[in-house]
Amino acid sequence: MSGRRLIDIARVIRSKNAGPLHCTLDILFDDDATFREALASPAMTVEAMARLYGVSATTVEVIPYAAAHAIKVVLDRPVVAGSPGDSDVYGAQQHAPLLGVVL
Amino acid sequence: MDQGLRPGVKLRVLAASGQLGNGVPEAALKAGLARAPHVLGCDMGSIDVGPAYLGGGRLATSPAITKRDLRLVIHGARQVGVPLLIGSAGTAGARPHLDQALAMIHAIAKEDGLKLRVAVIAADMDRDWLRGMAQAGRVQPIGAIGALTSAIIDGAAHIVGQMGTEAFLRALAMEPDIILAGRACDTAVFAAVPLLLGYPAGPATHMAKIIECTSLCCIPGGRDAMLGTLMGDSFELESMNPARAATPVSVAAHSLYEQADPLRVHEPEGMMDTTDARYEAIDDRRVRVSGATWVPATQHSIKVEGATFVGERAVLLASTTDPRVIENRESIAAGVRRIVADILPGAGDYDLRFRAYGTGETNLFPGAREGLPVPAEVFFLLECIAGDADTAKAIIGVAKQNLLHFGFPGRLSTGGNIAFPFTPPELPAGTAYRYSVYHIAECDDLAAAFPVRMETVG
Repeated sequence: MSGRRLIDIARVIRSKNAGPLHCTLDILFDDDATFREALASPAMTVEAMARLYGVSATTVEVIPYAAAHAIKVVLDRPVVAGSPGDSDVYGAQQHAPLLGVVL
Repeated sequence: MDQGLRPGVKLRVLAASGQLGNGVPEAALKAGLARAPHVLGCDMGSIDVGPAYLGGGRLATSPAITKRDLRLVIHGARQVGVPLLIGSAGTAGARPHLDQALAMIHAIAKEDGLKLRVAVIAADMDRDWLRGMAQAGRVQPIGAIGALTSAIIDGAAHIVGQMGTEAFLRALAMEPDIILAGRACDTAVFAAVPLLLGYPAGPATHMAKIIECTSLCCIPGGRDAMLGTLMGDSFELESMNPARAATPVSVAAHSLYEQADPLRVHEPEGMMDTTDARYEAIDDRRVRVSGATWVPATQHSIKVEGATFVGERAVLLASTTDPRVIENRESIAAGVRRIVADILPGAGDYDLRFRAYGTGETNLFPGAREGLPVPAEVFFLLECIAGDADTAKAIIGVAKQNLLHFGFPGRLSTGGNIAFPFTPPELPAGTAYRYSVYHIAECDDLAAAFPVRMETVG
């Protein structure tokens, strides 16, 4: 079951601000089994997400949410939303690195 | 507001809009009104749209559409004879936003011959109070933002606090036709009437949290009115557009949206916890939800938001398909920057940024910029923020001409390094603001923080 890419098995892969200081990534799966498989993967740990996004692991949280077969990743924004130097005020286009993640 | 409504009796809350001013879909609103709701609620704002609106006192929505939407919901609430609750007036919910929304209600009442009692709740934070709380160590940042200082408080263009149900309950006691609230928790708009009537806070707040985005919790998601029917310990959800279906998973998934924590929502008066929530299908497009709990706060608190002036912004729009310009873009930018500094030594502090779209510019995080292919085309967005608009325009103009003709080793494009899509390609982009306050302040007197006044309109 390993070696599958998120883009091929997730129903939704999205990003959005949660307030101006955090960016959150949501990965939603069709069923509980796929959710459990992804959650158990070493590619979905706090450390792996920190490496993928090039940030310190202390600024990353990975939160499983079984009710929606979903994994949420919360990142500290490097720039406060809408401040000079921001490139995505709503944080809606920060999910692309997840697409190629191999479980 | 009585009508024998109490836990065990169905209380119908109609969420007419999650973002009033962007065009309320009329058919679903009418369908919702036909279900005889006991209250009509609309959220009108958000912090997500960026600091320009809170800072500049401006609406993010067009005045014409905003007035259209207000007219629709005012007449809708009058038609069924129930209160209309509007939260986060005018996008950011500070004094100028509240004033603009109230002026529209005045105009509608006059044009349509309505007499309305409007309870207006201000959300601007008293700066002396906030300074005192910060100095007493009773204000904490919500994330990666510095401690709140007197200088930050003094420098903010506007500072608002998010009011909770406490403020709406005080306003409801005055029996208004409309409550127009400044910055408010989106949940408070929809949970206030249930709490007034004694329905339990856990399910009431959970229902409010879901319907505040109207039909976004459905498949397919949309902006059509959403009906929440609260029994007491459970509630039912139904989109007023028959093409949208609420399913147990789609409703549960909505708790993820724009939230750092999908299970807990912190409000001024307490915390809603959905750890034990249950989502059951009633049929193929309605869901029953139960199990959320409410933990009252021992210390009330207010989420405070402030925006401060940064400068005046001007931009340049240009592009290139020349591989040598693309390859040398960073050294070209550095060279242009030096020329600008030489030509305009008296420009003072300014911020000049070269954004090269096509090279991963959208990515906020460094890891996301690695390993991207070399693009065949790059879009340059040059951005200058300076102390005044003329200086910003002058800097962007000099940068434009020198980017066009900048010489570099191996250059072939001596006719010009960039293409302009139209003229003038350098444009003023208005005043730049940034969020300077995003903190939690403890509060011992919520009623003093969010004063209510009654205004008779029409």
